[in-house]
Amino acid sequence: MNLTPMGTIRALATALILLLIVGCAPDSQTPEESQSDTSISQAEKAPEEGDSEQPAADPIRIGAFFPLSAPGSVVGGEAMRDAMLIAADHINANGGLLGRPVELIVVDSEGLPERGSAVIERLISQDRVVAIAGGYHSSVGVVAKEVAHDNNIPIVLANTWNDTITSVQYPQVFRIAPLSSEVSAVDVKFMQWLRDDAGARLEKVVLLTENTDYGIPAAEDTSRLLAEAGIDSVTFGVDIGTQDFAGIVERIKAEAPDLIMSLATGEASYNFAQQAADAGIGPQDVPTLCDHNALESNSFWRNVPDGNYCFVRRIGLPAQLYNDVALDFLAEYQARTGKEGAESYAFAAYDAVRVIAQAIAEAGTTDADAIIATLEGITYIGALGKITFPVNSSNTPEQAGVDPKWWHQFPDPAVTVVQYQHEGEDSVSATVVFPETYRTGDPVVVGQ
Amino acid sequence: MENAAIFGWALLWILFWGALGGVVTPRVYARKDLEISQASFGGAVIGAALGPFSLLPLWFATPKITSRLIGIAIAIVVGIFIAAFALADPDNLCVANGGFVISQLANGIVIGIIYGLMALGLTLIFSILGVVSFAHGEFYMIGGMVTYFMTAEWIPGVSPIIAILASCVVTFAIGYLFERIFLRPMGSGEIERPTEYAILVTFGLAFFLQYLTQALTSAVPVKAQRFFPFPRTEIPADSGALLKMTPGNVTVFDAISIPNPRFTAALLALMMLAALLWFLYRTWVGKALRAVSQDRQAAAVTGINPNSMNTLAFSMGAMLAGLSGASLVQVFSWLPQVGIPAAARSFVIIVLGGMGSLPGAFLGGLIVGLVEAAGTGCIPDATRAAAYIPAYGMVILTLVLLLKPTGLFGREL
Repeated sequence: MNLTPMGTIRALATALILLLIVGCAPDSQTPEESQSDTSISQAEKAPEEGDSEQPAADPIRIGAFFPLSAPGSVVGGEAMRDAMLIAADHINANGGLLGRPVELIVVDSEGLPERGSAVIERLISQDRVVAIAGGYHSSVGVVAKEVAHDNNIPIVLANTWNDTITSVQYPQVFRIAPLSSEVSAVDVKFMQWLRDDAGARLEKVVLLTENTDYGIPAAEDTSRLLAEAGIDSVTFGVDIGTQDFAGIVERIKAEAPDLIMSLATGEASYNFAQQAADAGIGPQDVPTLCDHNALESNSFWRNVPDGNYCFVRRIGLPAQLYNDVALDFLAEYQARTGKEGAESYAFAAYDAVRVIAQAIAEAGTTDADAIIATLEGITYIGALGKITFPVNSSNTPEQAGVDPKWWHQFPDPAVTVVQYQHEGEDSVSATVVFPETYRTGDPVVVGQ
Repeated sequence: MENAAIFGWALLWILFWGALGGVVTPRVYARKDLEISQASFGGAVIGAALGPFSLLPLWFATPKITSRLIGIAIAIVVGIFIAAFALADPDNLCVANGGFVISQLANGIVIGIIYGLMALGLTLIFSILGVVSFAHGEFYMIGGMVTYFMTAEWIPGVSPIIAILASCVVTFAIGYLFERIFLRPMGSGEIERPTEYAILVTFGLAFFLQYLTQALTSAVPVKAQRFFPFPRTEIPADSGALLKMTPGNVTVFDAISIPNPRFTAALLALMMLAALLWFLYRTWVGKALRAVSQDRQAAAVTGINPNSMNTLAFSMGAMLAGLSGASLVQVFSWLPQVGIPAAARSFVIIVLGGMGSLPGAFLGGLIVGLVEAAGTGCIPDATRAAAYIPAYGMVILTLVLLLKPTGLFGREL
């Protein structure tokens, strides 16, 4: 074959591009990485009899899904990925499971339900995982539960709050994240406390919500509870991944709210907070309850330099109440990521993998029904505290006299509200302002 | 909306008479052996404007449908639309709050200028190479990334102007290399099906650049600091009623509010536009580019090398997208996928303005910016107003394709 000089250059360029792609792949977070695996230790013993379809020499595969690309919340997804990898490493460092190493198969949901559904299907059918952990966006969690149910694979959701995920009472679906309606109740209690005890003027609240399975029900619940508390509210909706908030910010400004609450995730939450600040209704001008993406301090301050005085809702125990598991995890997480603290969803992601691992160990098999049965009765001491699922097939919601949303639901995730009170502050050391039990300082109520 | 029926009937009037005018007018003109190139669009807008009161005289007198006539008709349609909206929803902020309206218009114009700059690059490439670059959004993304990394990571404290220039150089260089290596064969006849090839190869470049950036920088959003914060100023000093500046915002007459990053981005875009126009209309190379866009063979006969113009046009187009990104990285959080919606919007703009038309791209950018601002600000349902942002562009695209497929300034195909 004769190549012209330009043809040679083209061939070289193509080769270079291929090399670059191949060379970059292991560290990338492309959808192709969803194939990439994180193999861990080499602890290999003979498996127990009765183990599932995975051949004896194979590691036990646990699927992990979270957003690693936009429009999903990459900040949240990367934190969860790091936490889950630590969990897998800890398990393998202690000899693995059933004498076999644990392998975490990581996939990228991109925060999109259709993408989430496809990658979870692949985890089950192609990667043959025995259980699945993860979930950041509720809209993905809602479809994930259907796929897990259809394929009878246990799934532990770490950060998806939508009530319907558990209220449908699928045997395979467990959740260690809080319920959206319960978080909304805490949000409104916080606002009432600001008004009644902290002396803030609070007659009108603007809710900025993303039009997803997380944002819509959360905004509806919050709006209803605010009305019951005698506080007016106006809801503005945006799509996930929205960049330009100029028009909406002007409309919010015209409403003259006493507090703005953001229920937008991903970079949209940063875009909104900073564009509101540019327009003079940011966290330093109007009390603002930022979305919990703000807990990733480095990313938050880089994207929202005028974000001081943001209130942020934080799930999980405050730092002063961390147990040994949480402290061990935190030390490892800090060492690996270089962050000063760990986000609440990182703690939850760590526990999601560990609770599955404990269930497999207690069940002595990777059979799905056995893992589900063990999870129903499990008592796991994790970074979030003591995790149990007290409402289950032997204590149904009807028998327990509770709403179906409590099915397979960790009942006690602590919810606190922290406030950044110094520019560049880390979320772990931010002032806890609510509830009173955990308070480390008084809130700064701006603009009043 | 208090009186939705008023608005509904007005819309129905516009749609019915517009459709009737668009369908019947070309037939009437064709029967009389008259020019029909503007008949469909002209008939549609004239019908939408005054219904039977304008269509009947049009069909009987069959005057020449000039741009002036179409312009007047469009103005009347817009007037009817606004009047019906004001009557239907008198409490809407867009009706009751003048300051809000002017702020929205200002925001629409500011963002429209930047949209226009980005679309200008795309239309420049199309006008010279006849290629729609599907990697345009990625050049926009890279422009922003280079500016961010220059100002925040690599050389903290460096002037944003230098960072913007660097992003121009990088995007120009990538565009240059890509055109020389992958698009040049189209001109030399080496490619059997150049149209399909161009689509595929620019798509490939888009994915490559996007995922390469993600691999190199991660997908975590980043954002540059304000390039040129405003000084704190109030005129008059005690009230700021005329002018009030904070580092992040300027408020004029206590009503019109423009955020600093958008203001400086638009200013940069305007300066670049002026430089581009000077280059295209006052330099030999610029004139050569325009000549190639008008008639490739004729330009070659006069001694212009069309292949060199191809390379220059693609590189400049990429650079214009990069410059838009460099201007906007202080406005939006930036990540490897940030170019996707921007590129989609650019396609709408160049279709609206007319494929290959530089003034059309700029005007199209302004129109899309204004429509987005008006839609977001005026749609009564607050839960949907901003969610419809991508739809506004699609509505414009559909209308243009229906009424004037060549766009506002496009050449007849």
